Amino acid sequence: MSQAAAMTAGRATGEKSKADDARKLPKDVGDTLTKAGMGLAVLGVVAAGAGYAMDAKRFAASYLIGFLFVATIALGGLFFVLVQHLARAGWSVAARRQMEWLAGLLPAVAVLSIPIFLWAHDLYHHWMGPQAATDPILQKKAGYLNPSFFYGRSAFYVVVWVALGLYFTRTSRAQDESGDAKLTEKMQAASAPAMILFALTTTFAAFDWVMSLDPHWYSTIFGVYVFAGCATSSLSVLALITVQLQQRGYFRKISTVEHRHDIGKLLFGFIVFFAYIGFSQFLLIWYADIPEETVWYHHRWDDAGWAKVSLAIFFGHFVIPFLLLLSRHAKRHAVGLSVGAVIMLVMHYVDLYWLVMPTFDHHFHFSVVDICGLLGPLGIAAFLVARQAAQGPLYPLRDPRLAETVKVDNP
Amino acid sequence: MTTAALQEDTPGKRAPLVLGHRDFNAVTETVAGIVEKKTTPSWLVLLGLAVSVLLILLGSLGKLVAEGLGIWGLNNTVFWAWDITGFVFWIGIGHAGTLISAILFLFRQKWRTSINRAAEAMTIFAVMSAAIYPVFHVGRVWFAYWLFPIPNQMSMWPNFKSPLLWDVFAISTYATVSILFWYVGLVPDLATLRDRATTKVRSIVLGIFSLGWRGSHRNWLNYEKTYLILAGLSTPLVLSVHTIVSFDFAVSIMPGWHTTIFPPYFVAGAIFSGFAMVVSLMVLARKAYGLEGLITIKHLENMNKIILLTGTMVGYAYAIEYFIAWYGGNEYERFAFINRAFGPYKWAYWTMWSCNVFSPQLFWFKRIRTSIPAMFVISIFVNIGMWFERFVIIVTSLHRDYIPSSWTYFRPSLFDISTFLGSFGLFFTLFLLFLRFLPAVAISEVKGVMPQADPHAGHDDHGHDAHDDHHEEASAKADESEDEGDEGEEASDDAEKDEEESRG
Repeated sequence: MSQAAAMTAGRATGEKSKADDARKLPKDVGDTLTKAGMGLAVLGVVAAGAGYAMDAKRFAASYLIGFLFVATIALGGLFFVLVQHLARAGWSVAARRQMEWLAGLLPAVAVLSIPIFLWAHDLYHHWMGPQAATDPILQKKAGYLNPSFFYGRSAFYVVVWVALGLYFTRTSRAQDESGDAKLTEKMQAASAPAMILFALTTTFAAFDWVMSLDPHWYSTIFGVYVFAGCATSSLSVLALITVQLQQRGYFRKISTVEHRHDIGKLLFGFIVFFAYIGFSQFLLIWYADIPEETVWYHHRWDDAGWAKVSLAIFFGHFVIPFLLLLSRHAKRHAVGLSVGAVIMLVMHYVDLYWLVMPTFDHHFHFSVVDICGLLGPLGIAAFLVARQAAQGPLYPLRDPRLAETVKVDNP
Repeated sequence: MTTAALQEDTPGKRAPLVLGHRDFNAVTETVAGIVEKKTTPSWLVLLGLAVSVLLILLGSLGKLVAEGLGIWGLNNTVFWAWDITGFVFWIGIGHAGTLISAILFLFRQKWRTSINRAAEAMTIFAVMSAAIYPVFHVGRVWFAYWLFPIPNQMSMWPNFKSPLLWDVFAISTYATVSILFWYVGLVPDLATLRDRATTKVRSIVLGIFSLGWRGSHRNWLNYEKTYLILAGLSTPLVLSVHTIVSFDFAVSIMPGWHTTIFPPYFVAGAIFSGFAMVVSLMVLARKAYGLEGLITIKHLENMNKIILLTGTMVGYAYAIEYFIAWYGGNEYERFAFINRAFGPYKWAYWTMWSCNVFSPQLFWFKRIRTSIPAMFVISIFVNIGMWFERFVIIVTSLHRDYIPSSWTYFRPSLFDISTFLGSFGLFFTLFLLFLRFLPAVAISEVKGVMPQADPHAGHDDHGHDAHDDHHEEASAKADESEDEGDEGEEASDDAEKDEEESRG
């Protein structure tokens, strides 16, 4: 008998009792996790208050970045859930619950979006302010870029997201109880129209909340660019949570190194996708060299500080993680994958910062207020994810494809 | 109806991918039978038709070389029309093959196995049909090699800043890797045909092309590694080719051409048109050669779902383009799009929408996406629509440029039409030859997705016996399981060869 076979046999018999997965986190661990999350949320809210007190105007922009950070991760979670149902995927059952936790943030995203609208006149002053009335270009698009339509659209996006997030997380949880395979079929059927709604709302939210910060500028690929960030960031969070659950011994058979490898591959794929989309936008604008389009890149390149941020995105969001995660060994290695995921999350924040902040700050300087703007939404999101992790099952307990996910193998 | 019921993919239970084939040998017989049987009269009739159309191409190109580009309907305003439309049309179709073989392989989509061979062949032939246009558009075709940057005493170089030159690199790389990929996949199957050969010539020719394949574990190990590496390399290539084709237009400042969504939009469109062509061809080929058990309704349904997905993505791109043309506030951009939808070419624009976006929406209904006649008609609509998409982008943007006095209405000449029609002759001639002389379905790959290929089939997961070591090492495909009646695709030892020969 080869060594591998001997090990398989050993695992199958001797260690059977130890080899079972935890259906739920132990109560004490769950409580600690919830408390830590609560601590982060309190810290975040206090920091946000302090940031607002320090510089209300700067804080609005910083908060928008922090809000987008959480919203894109939550949307990425929703996208993953939808696409796995759409493809009737088997391998991903072990990873779906963690992504459902992220999609479960969407109701919070709806609440967290409220300050954006309260501060809209500061954030979107270029087209909401009085100077818009005399701007001939803005006059042409006033039918779209006007406050009431903007609020209406934004409300529509968040209502759609909350509905989709609740539907898919609740149905999945209901299946934990009932084990009804029909629920999988229901979610599969719903995932196709849901994907269309997701694509349209995410695109137009990207146009409205980010692209319209510079209301003269436009790019047809912009929605896809923001979507690429949703995918990389949510997969990075998934990688981190999965590694932690595996390392701490809660996942043994359901989610294994094979799933880590698959998540790593998917993350790697979306890193390349992001670079592809970002490069396509850059190359076409650079090549055509039309001033009304290049202005956007000038804001991000002419200032020495912003130029460094631009380069940091190129290297940190693409080159370094690309080289790291190209390796099969790194994707399967708990530390290797986690390092890649952390780099991607940091760079996702930098990318959002780079999208939003140059409009407000022509000379790059990172302020403590920016950290406050991130900590607020992030702390609340961390608490909500921790609470879902503490209270519910760690994987879809009775998903009909659970047997398939256990068998996943990357030979 | 029974096959459809058998292939219902309920959660937790995957539908079988192969129907009506009891064992490995049945698959070999079905596929190798096509190649080994006598030529049928209907195939000869079809080949005759295809060659006649190919002759139209040769005649048109001969006339082009003799007289010059003036025989096409191009003019000063519309300096690019059916030529580049035909080129992009064929290149787009050439995307499905490598997508199926590379990307679906990386995504572990096992249903790809029975369609990848024909789709890859289609890719190669489509790229060849596409290559006609740039090669002949240079005018003096005997200087076509000037497209490559070859050192010369005049120090004349192509323009490295032009995406048209990038096209030369992208497409030649793509064609090379696609052919390699296709050929690597063919090797085990050629060996199967070699082992079944009944004539000396056949045995020698197939012996040369099967590169001494013996079906050993070492052979399979190298094969699997090569296949994975080629799949990894092909994936960025699939995306890069149509991305660079989209750059041909999008790097310019022409309204309607210059828009940042072009690269992913062109890639989605290419996959869309390629899958439509695969469906059109497979619906016919599976019927003609009795491949219904290998290329099942389930396979076709999956492809139709991809057509629905990519068609909707293309629709997204059309809509976003239109919206941003308005939102951008640039009057030339706005005019270009209003002119597309309501100008003299509005018939082409709405044909494009109807064929590409509206018609695939019928695939939301399971009854339609599993109905052979319906999917055939829709796939043809998609092919038509994707030709119109390129025509709309190219001609409507050009025909009304910045100077109203030079506005014109493009009409194709007879030779525009005959060249494009003739390119189908080239494509179908090659495809028919492929169907006749090479295994149209990847025999070894299909066997790998049959239940018999699973070393644990019929065993419980941990009930290993003395065969364990063997199972650990053998790949699923090379596995010579103890199931009787499976000679395995490799048919390597002489005993098996004799057995097969005696059967044949």
